[in-house]
Parts: sequence; C-alpha cells; structure tokens
Amino acid sequence: MARKQIQVSRRILFIWLMLAGFIFLLSPRKITNKFQFVFARIFSRPMSVGRSISLSVRARQLPIDVVSRWEYDKLQNHLSNVLEQREEIRRKIEKLSGVRERGSLKGAKIVIADVITSTLNGVRNELIINRGKDDGISVGLYVLGINNVIGTISAVDSRTSRVRLVTDSSSKIAVKIGDLEIDRVMEGAGDNTAKIKMLSTKHRVRVGDSVYSRKNPGFLDSAMIIGKVIECRRDEENPSLWEITVVPACEIEKLNDVAVIIMNPGSPVE
Amino acid sequence: MRWFRFGILVLVAILIQASLIDVIALTTIKLDLLLILLVFFSIYCEIKEAMIASFCIGFAADLIGPVMGPQIISFTIFGTLLAYLHRIISIRRMPYQSLVIALVGVLAGTMALVLTVLKGEPMLPNFYTILIGTSLYSAIVGPFLFLPSAWWMRIKTHRFSQH
Repeated sequence: MARKQIQVSRRILFIWLMLAGFIFLLSPRKITNKFQFVFARIFSRPMSVGRSISLSVRARQLPIDVVSRWEYDKLQNHLSNVLEQREEIRRKIEKLSGVRERGSLKGAKIVIADVITSTLNGVRNELIINRGKDDGISVGLYVLGINNVIGTISAVDSRTSRVRLVTDSSSKIAVKIGDLEIDRVMEGAGDNTAKIKMLSTKHRVRVGDSVYSRKNPGFLDSAMIIGKVIECRRDEENPSLWEITVVPACEIEKLNDVAVIIMNPGSPVE
Repeated sequence: MRWFRFGILVLVAILIQASLIDVIALTTIKLDLLLILLVFFSIYCEIKEAMIASFCIGFAADLIGPVMGPQIISFTIFGTLLAYLHRIISIRRMPYQSLVIALVGVLAGTMALVLTVLKGEPMLPNFYTILIGTSLYSAIVGPFLFLPSAWWMRIKTHRFSQH
C-alpha cells in the first residue's frame, strides 16, 4: 500500500513554525526553563567534560601563579569573612549585651553542587548546577564560590538550578563597602564586574576595599564578602557621587563546584 | 535531507558551543557554530528543509540561551529568507558565504535581542560589540566548516541549488 504523504505548502509550514516560536516566546519562563534544565541534565556529563577541557586549556595559556590562586582566594576570603563577622558580632554584643549570638552559618544546610555549564560571555553571567528542588534548593538562595557570595538562585528544576551571578546585568544585591555602615545596591555590569553607584563622594572608598553582601534574613544571616573594589571614580553625570567597580572575590570561571546556603532547612523558602 | 545526521550534527554543535568553545574564544568574542550551521543549511537545502532546519537550530540555540523563543523566531525568519535568496543569488564562493554569515549574524542577533528584551531580559551596553565581533569571527571561520558539514550530511556543495 502506498504511503500517504502529507503535503504542506511553504507558507503554511512557515506559519506553523513561527506559531511554535511565539508559543515558546510567550509561555511563562517557569515552563520554558524546563526545556533548558532537561537538556542540561541529560547532557551534563559531556558538557562537564568539555568545560573541564576548556578550563585546563585556558589555565595553560595563563601565566603560572607563584602560589595557588585558588588557595590564596580561599584564605583571603575566609579572612575577610571572619573579620567582618567578628566586627558584626562585636557591634551586636555592644548593642544587645547578654544576648547570645549564633554563628553566621550555624544550623544552615550547605548543599555542594557541581557546575554543569557556565556562561560568562559579556551578555549573560550565569551557571547551571546539578542540584535542584529535590535537594531543597529554591529561588533566591545565596550561592558561595570560595567562601564568597557569587550569586543567587534564579530558577530551579527538580535536579538542576540556574545561578544568576553578581556580575550578571540583571543582578541587584544589597551590599556594604569596607567599614562604611551604608547599604547600597550593587548591579552587575555583565563584563565580570559589578557597579555600585549612588554613594556620595564624602565617603572614603579605596581601591582594594572589600565589598560585603548585606545580611538578608532567611537567606543569609551574616554579611559575607562578594568582591573587591578595583576602581573608584566620580560619576560622569553626577560628580558628587562615586561610581565604584567591583570584581568578584574569586575567579568564577574556574569554579568546578559551588555551595548553596539553605539558612532554614526545615522551612522551605519561596 | 538526512535528518538523523542533521540531529547528530546539531547536537555536537550545541555541546561544543556550550562547553568547549571558550578554548578558541577571543576574550568575550566566541565563535557561533549554530549561526554557521544556519547559513549552511539555508544555502544547501531545499526551502522547506531549510525552514525546518532553521527552526531546529534556533531551538537548539535557545536551549543554551537566556530564554526560549527569540532565537527560534529569528533563526526561522532569516533561515527562510536566506533559502529564498539563494534561489536568486548564488552564494557559492567563500567570500560571499562569509559576508552572508556576518549579515545574518548581526540581523538575527538584533532580532533575538529585541525579542529577549520584550520578554523582560535586560539589554547590555556592550551587546553590539559582542554581536558584531561574534558575527565577524563566525564569518571568517564559517566557510571552512562548510566542507566537513557537507561531507557529514552527504551534500554536494558544487551544485547551484535544489528546487
């Protein structure tokens, strides 16, 4: 019996394809993200291998450090965190004498996740990691690199999640700079840096100052280092304000795994 | 059109694009393998096949992109237009192929950007630098990848076009 062949005109085919495209475009991201997560999950192995090869090739192209950069970043960030936590605790002890203070991450659940893919291309700065809802991860949780905040969870699937890095152009995170007791919003610039604006030039900011993420109850109970100030200049539009450029406190593109902080493991955060 | 071979080729391209492409990246400028495949299939396939191939390549590009939809639409439109254009103007010589890759890269990228912004994603000030850089880089390398792609797809590249 001859097989019946469906004949579709080019115009109809084009309309169907465009319709399918617009359905994808107009569908909620919660639904369309599933396609991306399923793809990342199915091909996590070859993509991880490819990423490892890519990292090792790029590492050979870079000049050799005198000491391990990873170790240096890790210890430097740990030192900054401890100093900041000590200072914060000191302030609280002064303010609330007699009240016991719990450790910054005491009781928190730390979920270690492997990086499946990283996108640091100047347009987007994000990671896809191999932990998701099944591991207790939800949107908004803070993600650590080497003892430093590198971003927050922006989308989750059952076994994968997307991390929006602090350098992503859509990232906005409350921070404080060095010893200044002023909250400001740090916005990602997309080029592996972030910017802090709206800070009066009467405040003294120096290159090399540490930038800390502000504590965010339920997500981050203590300030943690995000990065360092690498440039501080007057805003071109308003010279009475600083325009501060910040780089992450670790080389995010070299991270193979990250840690997600679940502050209150018993109560899911939405 | 050998669709099974097409699927494998697109899958390999997307996996390389998502992981290994950094090896040959020039700072933030990366080779766009899917753009090169889009132009290849639009030039060397029948119009209907080119439409479906463009849709599939756009879908693959969106799988590793920020949101689903923009590249499906832009790739389908420009893949189809290119397939029709190839019936009128021969795009056989490598300089012409390079020019087409660069043009399609900029136009499809701009359309994808507009659709991405419509979906609520932010637009970056340095986007066009990256887009133009990526398109030019792909235009230089692209025609050299046509030959292995044609061998894999069992397509004879010397013919003018298929109708």
